[in-house]
Amino acid sequence: MVSAEDIRRYIAEGLQCDSIEVEGDGHHFEAVIVSGEFSGKSRIERHQRVYSALGDRMAGEIHALSMRTLTPEEWREAHG
Amino acid sequence: MSIQDTIRAQVTGNPVVLYMKGTPQFPQCGFSAAAAQVLKACGVTQYLSVNVLENPEIRDGIKQYGNWPTIPQLYVNGKLVGGADILREMYASGELARLLDPLKTPG
Repeated sequence: MVSAEDIRRYIAEGLQCDSIEVEGDGHHFEAVIVSGEFSGKSRIERHQRVYSALGDRMAGEIHALSMRTLTPEEWREAHG
Repeated sequence: MSIQDTIRAQVTGNPVVLYMKGTPQFPQCGFSAAAAQVLKACGVTQYLSVNVLENPEIRDGIKQYGNWPTIPQLYVNGKLVGGADILREMYASGELARLLDPLKTPG
């Protein structure tokens, strides 16, 4: 079974991230991803970027992944 | 007609289309239920919902069509708006209500 740490690693391998946090129980996962690559991109494009990092795994081992995708600036605003 | 043509016809022939697991009345996945709920909360009750559990070809085809690997998916005026997370964020910020306001079900 895929773990939250596996997913964190898969995303980190495919996307330059400032930070990634993943929590989950093996079936449903929640990720908060902060990346400069998200600048100027819509939410759809950001999620598509993460999905492309995960590749075929989204069709197979990962059943459900909730995401919040933030730029470093948005992250600071939300947690300043 | 290929499955991609069928999907194109659905999303361009209907202002609001929700691809989901189950139906708005009987959703079979929590994410699909949440998507149907935010539509209702925005006053949109008349829309095309496609139960992908009953349409395996569409279930596969829709993932390619919008380059989006998960269900639910909401299309408005032919454009992919998002899945469950994006709909929730857009609902919370009021963006979804603004987008859907012209498409509200009268009455």
